[in-house]
Amino acid sequence: MKFHFQHFLKALLLGLFTLFFANLHITGDIIKYINPKYDYMSKMTVIFFFVLLLIQVTRIWQEKHTHHVCSHRCDHDHGNSHWSLRRVVSYSIVAFPIVTGFMVPPATLDASIAANKGFLVSQGGGQSGGTERKSLMEGAESLVEKEDIDIYSSEHVPLPNENYLSEQEYDGKLRLLQESESIQMTEDMFSTYYGEINDNLESYVGKTIKMSGFVFKEEGLTGNQLVISRFLITHCVADASIIGFLTEFTGAVTIQEDAWVEIEGVLEVGNYNGYDLPLLKATSLNVVEEPSEPYIYPVLKMLGN
Amino acid sequence: MPIFYLGQAIKNQATKERGDSMQSRQKQSYNISTVFVLGILLIILVPLFLGSKTLTIPNSFPQLNTIFLSILIEAIPFVLIGVLIAGFIQIFITEDHIRKWIPKNKFLAVVMSCVVGAAFPACECGIVPIVRRLIGKGVPLYAGVGFLLTGPLINPIVILSTYMAFGNDMEMALLRMGVGFVAALAIALTVSILFKSNQLKKSTGNFESATTGNKKQPFAARLHEMLKHSIDEFFDMSKYLIAGAFVAAFLQTYVSTQSLLQLGSSQMQSTFVMMALAFILSLCSEADAFIGASFRNVFPTSSILAFLIYGPMIDLKNTIMLLSVFKAKFVFVLFILITSIVFLFVNLTILL
Repeated sequence: MKFHFQHFLKALLLGLFTLFFANLHITGDIIKYINPKYDYMSKMTVIFFFVLLLIQVTRIWQEKHTHHVCSHRCDHDHGNSHWSLRRVVSYSIVAFPIVTGFMVPPATLDASIAANKGFLVSQGGGQSGGTERKSLMEGAESLVEKEDIDIYSSEHVPLPNENYLSEQEYDGKLRLLQESESIQMTEDMFSTYYGEINDNLESYVGKTIKMSGFVFKEEGLTGNQLVISRFLITHCVADASIIGFLTEFTGAVTIQEDAWVEIEGVLEVGNYNGYDLPLLKATSLNVVEEPSEPYIYPVLKMLGN
Repeated sequence: MPIFYLGQAIKNQATKERGDSMQSRQKQSYNISTVFVLGILLIILVPLFLGSKTLTIPNSFPQLNTIFLSILIEAIPFVLIGVLIAGFIQIFITEDHIRKWIPKNKFLAVVMSCVVGAAFPACECGIVPIVRRLIGKGVPLYAGVGFLLTGPLINPIVILSTYMAFGNDMEMALLRMGVGFVAALAIALTVSILFKSNQLKKSTGNFESATTGNKKQPFAARLHEMLKHSIDEFFDMSKYLIAGAFVAAFLQTYVSTQSLLQLGSSQMQSTFVMMALAFILSLCSEADAFIGASFRNVFPTSSILAFLIYGPMIDLKNTIMLLSVFKAKFVFVLFILITSIVFLFVNLTILL
């Protein structure tokens, strides 16, 4: 029997991966990274990693050199050969995300990322922005027709994606949007309402909108203008796109960027670079704590629908 | 530990010397990939060192790290499924199973190889040695190329991950399969016209029979082997994924949409930008959809499609592997063919 250090190292890394994924679910940090809709995938991953760990543990101590089943020519590394710089680098790269994952706490995307993605650009000012927004709207329309699932309820259910709305409830919420004078942009309907308002701006002008979001001051805004923004997460944080309303508020200069605020305002038609866009004239604005679930998730189509 | 391993090392050295010049060529290509891996490490370390100058992590690092980890958390389940299937194929399916289906007629063989590739779940990293063995056993080059191209591009896991990465939207997954398949056909057919011989480096083809000896083993033992294989495949593949995810997260954190748009302001340019990105990132086809999707609000659909089709067919990592198998001239021609045909076909989709 012989102790294989590289097999031990692999087992250690697999163990750490198992812990990392399990920890995400235990602490609930998983929602800082991905749309909770897909969280079963990463739960499955915990099990996969654990099984692989068990298998790998059996390889740490083994007979001198058992003949490997795959031929000499399978191109990957079976950890039987000697050390090289390349191997050290390889293991370091694999260890890197585990180290940063445990050491650096997850952050909520902030205005610096929003600045990179650009808000006004996506409002029609940019070259590809127009088509992008159009496809977002198409998505919103088709979900109005087809969807009856509430992805993200404001009721703080631990797993918001499993909170289903019946079709009547969904239609009811949409009718509420069309008929009421005051629109509450709740998390569950945010992307749907947002799409609908952008699509038919004229029919919503003059209505009161209540929403919360973080403050983003994009280059090109005037002193009393802010974007009250949310990130729309389709799948994971990496695909976030920024949605929100351009807001005018007289005390805007005093509000820090990245602060979370609750606002109430009247919807008007604004203009940027010759494009119409919704503009909120804020009547009240309060700084609040960052919510525990800062992201917005779109209503997604299910397979077979 | 080095002493501990000395015995092993000497033994390996001995086996290596028993091998042919192919081995030394492989060694050479390892050096190329060492440089590549070191380069990626540099990209990872430089921001960390820049941060340590002020003795604090820069404010943007947690943001970068969150994006980086979120890509990995999404991608790793698919990579795991991929390596499990790869392990299964390695242990339970022989090349003969696939080769039986390739017909004599050139055109039919190309079509057939693309179809077989499409039905065969593999990653671009796993498929190169399989293709080498197939061609060594007498499968014509063009059929091997068709298989090489569609294997990683079209398979259930890639389709599923593309479907999910694009917000449960089937359109991108269908386009990826359809356009990718037609492009692969065109590339393989062109190869069948341009090249007559098998283009393998001279030394390959010597060891062909070793894989068939394991059939007698009991199922449990083979299952165990399969999982061990999967583990090694995971470690082999994950480093490229991790490096790729980091580069993508880095770009998102520090490069603004505007500057990327300037880089690829026209349709053609942005397609080239995305293809270059696909090449450099060398992502596994089972996970690249998530990274492609993260560029959705930067580039038009056709450019993202180019990223999704081009990446699985050829990338930096894959090219290094191909160079260790095929003659350099063939790899170069194949690279040009793939690049131009994918570019052409993706841009044609705009007319649809």
